[in-house]
Amino acid sequence: MLFALCLLSIAGISQIVIWKNARDTVQAELSASGSVYDRIWALRARSLGDSASVLARDFGFRSAIASGDRPTIESALANLSARADVAQTFFVDSAGDIIGNGLPELRHAVATVPTTLASGRRDAVIATKKGVFRLIVSPVLAPMEIGWVIFAIPLDAGEMTALQRLSAIPLTAAILQHRGAAQWHGGGGRTRGDAALDVFVARAIAGERAPSALLLPGGWAFALAKPLAGPTGKAEAVLLLSYPWTAAMAPYRTMQIGITLAGVIGLILVLLGSRRLANGIARPIAALDAAARALEEGNRTELIVQSDDEVGRLAHSFNLMSAGIVEREHRITHLAFHDSLTGLPNRTYFREQLDAGLARASKRGESVAILCLDLDGFKGVNDTLGHPVGDVLLRRVGEILSGLAPDGVVSRLGGDEFAIILDHRGDPDRPRALAQAILDQLYHPLQVDGHQVATGASIGIAVGPGDGADADTLLKNADLALYLGKQDGRGVFRFFEPALDAAARKRRQLELDLREALHGGQFRLNFQPIFDLKKDRIGGFEALLRWEHPKRGNVPPIDFISVAEDTGLIIAIGDWVMQEACRQATAWPDHVRIAVNVSPLQFRNSGFQNVIFQALSRSGLAPNRLEVEITESVFLEGESSVLTLLHQLRAMGVRVALDDFGTGYSSLSYLRSFPFDKIKIDKSFVDSVAHDDSSAAIVRAIVDLANALHMETTAEGVEDSEQLAELRGQGCSSIQGYLFSRPIEGSAVMAMIAGPMSAVA
Amino acid sequence: MRMFCSFVLAISAASFIPDMAGAATVTVEVRSSDGKPLAGAVVLIDAARKPAGPIKFDYAYEMAQKNITFAPHVLIVPVGSTVTFPNRDKVRHHVYSFSKPKRFDLKLYGKEETRSVVFDKAGVVALGCNIHDAMSGFVLVVDTPYAMQTDANGRAAITGVPAGAASVRIWHPTIRTPDNMLSQPATVSATGYSTTYTIRGR
Repeated sequence: MLFALCLLSIAGISQIVIWKNARDTVQAELSASGSVYDRIWALRARSLGDSASVLARDFGFRSAIASGDRPTIESALANLSARADVAQTFFVDSAGDIIGNGLPELRHAVATVPTTLASGRRDAVIATKKGVFRLIVSPVLAPMEIGWVIFAIPLDAGEMTALQRLSAIPLTAAILQHRGAAQWHGGGGRTRGDAALDVFVARAIAGERAPSALLLPGGWAFALAKPLAGPTGKAEAVLLLSYPWTAAMAPYRTMQIGITLAGVIGLILVLLGSRRLANGIARPIAALDAAARALEEGNRTELIVQSDDEVGRLAHSFNLMSAGIVEREHRITHLAFHDSLTGLPNRTYFREQLDAGLARASKRGESVAILCLDLDGFKGVNDTLGHPVGDVLLRRVGEILSGLAPDGVVSRLGGDEFAIILDHRGDPDRPRALAQAILDQLYHPLQVDGHQVATGASIGIAVGPGDGADADTLLKNADLALYLGKQDGRGVFRFFEPALDAAARKRRQLELDLREALHGGQFRLNFQPIFDLKKDRIGGFEALLRWEHPKRGNVPPIDFISVAEDTGLIIAIGDWVMQEACRQATAWPDHVRIAVNVSPLQFRNSGFQNVIFQALSRSGLAPNRLEVEITESVFLEGESSVLTLLHQLRAMGVRVALDDFGTGYSSLSYLRSFPFDKIKIDKSFVDSVAHDDSSAAIVRAIVDLANALHMETTAEGVEDSEQLAELRGQGCSSIQGYLFSRPIEGSAVMAMIAGPMSAVA
Repeated sequence: MRMFCSFVLAISAASFIPDMAGAATVTVEVRSSDGKPLAGAVVLIDAARKPAGPIKFDYAYEMAQKNITFAPHVLIVPVGSTVTFPNRDKVRHHVYSFSKPKRFDLKLYGKEETRSVVFDKAGVVALGCNIHDAMSGFVLVVDTPYAMQTDANGRAAITGVPAGAASVRIWHPTIRTPDNMLSQPATVSATGYSTTYTIRGR
């Protein structure tokens, strides 16, 4: 019987210990949320203080105060209010007069704050008819205090929701307001005032800061009241964090049942004379109890786990729990502002730092530079080696950047984008030097997980406040510079220039206009004749794209083709050109061909063969009358797929010409790899063919080469008869140029074919 | 920032140092709230009788800028004086005041350049520099010859004060009242007058 009592008491003690564990966990969470709340406010107060002090230090603003210039003060406040995103912004002068367009209920309360605020304090929480507000007070010094700029931020439902989201457990945060003699009530009627609550808050104000149990409208809960200091130090409002009891006990329910069962089983075992078991439970439980008490007092203790029964596991989970509590508070704050992969500050923190840095810089007349960096070919690393390797690479790059820029704030904005803030006070050359150092370091392949990963980077640099007085503009401009760097070939850095920004806007507008042109039918084709020197007649026309924009007038292709290529519109435009050229050519005599230029992008697009097929079948044009002109650059992204496609075109009967020959890579292997029907000799050789021996020699070499490979040649840009005579002499098969004719409208083609053209040639 | 300021008057043994008929020496000791002597406070005595001639002090009416500070930190001048502002630094300064008795600003001027300002109203003029936030100085424009700063021991001994009813004013930037000034009536006897003021407040 004694044993039975013994066991029952052990089971009882276990229940109490479990209850205490639950309570300790929740109390620690409540305290952690309270500390996080304080820290986040400290951060926010500092950044708002920075914004206000920029205005408070402004000479013009101080002059306006000294001369009592209300309209100027009001407009400066409105401007600050918009910049800091705080609706309630006021100025109070040393006589207690208040300026600002805030709530009338707030004005009176705010006006008295500077005179009642305890010395050295810069913020206070006040309760008004319109709810509770936190005030942030920045003095205006000239150089003595002549007034105060005051931000009032409502501690409303939105603020509470944000605080609730930061906590690891689903707690409830509410603001209680003073309601007269030691009585408190919640905003929005969420927490009705009652005597127990009033006593609880009074205790917290008296200095009892530990969380404890409280009966709230929703039932019993663990609660923590944080008095929010008013101007005089006396609290006018209280932050109440609470967590329902039932939710706190839920995870322990199974353990409680288990221990009850263990008690019953133990009872049977006791009857069998097992006293050892009682010993085995009683001692660890006592230790667990002592440890729980120590934890409650804020000391962490590790229990020594001696067994692997329920009690042993309980002790083990107790150890884990107590370690977790201490760590979690730090982690919550860290998580909100850091990137989990690299541990670097995240975009949120970066923006905050940049805003503060810009405000400081403009006040001191200094500058802040940001470097935006983006890894070249990172997508390729992820695709070929997998995401884990990509992640390790990002971490390595983060370490390298942090090492190279100890004087800057290095953050990861997302993906493979990093950014660095440099507050350079001394050395204006520092951003350039740092960018160069980063490029030099990333130029060498990195050893990642046993792979040699070759990665480079491109960097865009913008220097505020010149290139942008706020974080968004500065970031946008650094991105533009980065984009330019990527365009100029990777692995370079570029500074932002306003011209860049203007060019980007212009390109954007051009892109919109191009879409409009495509849908609105603003494109049309002109045709430039190609004169056949062997047969002395027009052998074909080259289709040339013309764009007549309603406002810009005639836009030459050189101005819009690169934008069309960048935006992918070239595919649709090229498709239209192909259809239209074939459609018009069907009306011409059978011996007249149509030549159409194809951009490398269009050529590499998977549907290209289909486009040709459709253009031919819709128009009914014989395939051998269509000549597709490509440039050597189509071979740059791999030869084999290009050759396959060329052979498919050839199989359809379409002719292929190699355009601009002699200007690019002009590898003879291209000529060997595919039997082109024609080589077009670039205008740059034709220009000087009649006067310059070396150009003449090159033209001759190309013509001889083409003859040997059974290809035709067309000389482009022939402008005078001397050139014509020289080219004819060298055996060139056809010519194209102003000597013969400028490009003409489609409606004039038939007349030109019928006209007496041989006279010219 | 509410202030509770008061004087604790402790009249010690009076010392009589006659220097002219009906004129006595007033010795004032000023202490801060923690009881320590307060150096650099200004003691002003508005006496029963004003002196006949114009008020003069025997030092240059000059507020120089040297090593990014105002030198002197506090300058006492009579109403109507012209104060020069020579710049003895390598850097340029932009001296200004937003105080009621005299608002002015001297736009950027450099080394070896001097500007001057006429102070035609009595009162305290707080000086600042728009470039160097930490610079702070004061010109006290007074209409009494009985004005003096306390020394390192918090003491000021003003001679030749006419006997009779007077009011003693104490000024110091840390005094939390409008104009940082406190005032109290006193009676200067022919044998002189000596007192200690303790500034009370936060």
